[in-house]
Amino acid sequence: MATPLYRRKVEHFLISIYLLSLIIIITFVISISIGPAMFDPVKVFNAIFFGYPVETNVKVIILLRLSRAFAALLSGASLALAGLLMQTITRNPLADPYIFGLSSTALTAVAIGIILTPSLMVYRQYLIVVAFLGAITGYILTLSLSKLGGGSSFTMVLAGIAIASLFSGISHILLYVVQQVIKTPYVYFLMGSASTVLQKDIPFLVIPTIVLTIIAIALFKPLNSYLYGDEYAKQLGFNPTLIRDLSAFISAFLTAITIAFVGIIGFIGLAAPHIARFLAGSDHRFSIPITVLVGALLTLIADVIVKLISIYSGAVGELPLGVVTAVIGAPFLAYLIIKRVRE
Amino acid sequence: MKIVVERVEVWYNSVQALKNISFRVGEGEVTFVIGPNGAGKSTLLKTIASIVKPRVGAIYIDGKTISMYNSRDLGKIISYVDPQISRSIPSTVLEFLITARYPYQPLLSFKISRQDLDVIEKISKQLNIEHLLNRRLDQLSNGEFQRIIIARALIQNPKVLLLDEPSAFLDLRYKLEILDYIKKITQQNRIVSIVAIHDLYLASLYADKVIVLENGEIIAIGTPDEVFNRELLEKVYKVKIAITNLNRRKIIIPIEPLEKIGSTL
Repeated sequence: MATPLYRRKVEHFLISIYLLSLIIIITFVISISIGPAMFDPVKVFNAIFFGYPVETNVKVIILLRLSRAFAALLSGASLALAGLLMQTITRNPLADPYIFGLSSTALTAVAIGIILTPSLMVYRQYLIVVAFLGAITGYILTLSLSKLGGGSSFTMVLAGIAIASLFSGISHILLYVVQQVIKTPYVYFLMGSASTVLQKDIPFLVIPTIVLTIIAIALFKPLNSYLYGDEYAKQLGFNPTLIRDLSAFISAFLTAITIAFVGIIGFIGLAAPHIARFLAGSDHRFSIPITVLVGALLTLIADVIVKLISIYSGAVGELPLGVVTAVIGAPFLAYLIIKRVRE
Repeated sequence: MKIVVERVEVWYNSVQALKNISFRVGEGEVTFVIGPNGAGKSTLLKTIASIVKPRVGAIYIDGKTISMYNSRDLGKIISYVDPQISRSIPSTVLEFLITARYPYQPLLSFKISRQDLDVIEKISKQLNIEHLLNRRLDQLSNGEFQRIIIARALIQNPKVLLLDEPSAFLDLRYKLEILDYIKKITQQNRIVSIVAIHDLYLASLYADKVIVLENGEIIAIGTPDEVFNRELLEKVYKVKIAITNLNRRKIIIPIEPLEKIGSTL
């Protein structure tokens, strides 16, 4: 019984990886093909994956759109992994960098950083460090506040909402003040947008996402043990404090890179781990890779929706990405809360 | 395999939970720890499991103190049935049971070996939990969950098995089945089992040795026959009891409702 069940689990995992990768590639090609100038997806596919020659002007547009699509994929992957790790270390299925206030405190730190040193806007990689300090502060604030309220999973969510609202307000004010410096509508920072990411920024998103995902997967045994309690992890020879601190560090860093380049995108960190656990179970060996892919896919789809709305509405400019993820994600949060209360 | 506990004292901040605890248990023996709530039974098990560190004294396993073992090796030696397993993130029984084999696998190995799955399969069959393997932990009944956490401890294949209230939530049949099984494998595998329990009758049925704890101190230690006497148990539990013999087993019965004996509870 155990062996066939385990085999089936591995099969589910492999099938999920295969299907998700396939859907991501298709969505990726669609994302590159659409815009004010529409291209033939087959031509785009051949150009990207097989290097088929295309007209110079098409090539330039494809390159521009590639940066944006990569930004969406990578920030989604980062936020999803950050969400999964936060859910594990707080043992709270409602945890997410956005709900727990890490995103808002990171953005506040970014706004303060820009006010003090406006040149940070050009060298966004330095913004990562500032955003990281902000995210860690948010994590500590939310946990401390929830401990004062008893430390249950609901007080954590309520504490997170309080911290998130406070710092989203503060960052709102600060970004409004420095609007002249950031040269883009500040709402893009507040609700996230992949459209402002440049090609030179991509390595700063790619490298941390890949490295931290590998580290998180390597930690799958301590993480799995940690799920069942501090004392349980201890008796299997793992140090629960070390697992918690390391995972909080990884989550905060992943949140920081998305805040520095894309701004706040809510709910991806909440939804992706739930979908991944539904597909492949809660063993981190399987759930981490699936979560990363699901997060990447969801954000890419949200970005495609942003583009489509802008094309078909004919409105000036674009909607922020976070608006779309909020419309999809908030009902999901409501569903999870109702389910939890019923259970 | 032999465990020697020597002058152990455990403190939770300024509260002393265990006072000058010393005893030894040998392989093949099932030792039961009894005593009222808050006597220090769970703390004693957690201290032996190296989850709680003693402020004074030491615990020796085969002549070496626990602190001399590396924490991953200790996972192969000691298994503790923790009744407070978190179930807030949904996972299946099989996912939970697999974690019990981690001490035997290299940290970074992604594969689960054939042998590991065989151990899980064998113990699930013996404890009759095979049909639960694909169920979610948070959807099990208390009794089912109790069997799962005991199965997990056995899958860890320990040399020292520590069980905190293993008979809780189980019906009469399962209580006996589980304790029968623990007794059998303790003798067969020549391991050491220490069981904290409230049910005195089960202790008298299965114990080779009984340790009586009160306020963090050992006040009696010996075979069930030596320990289960009326004066001692009345003093420890502060109730009036009668002890009768049935098939050479001691049966302990409370005989007066508390209000009649002027309980301080």
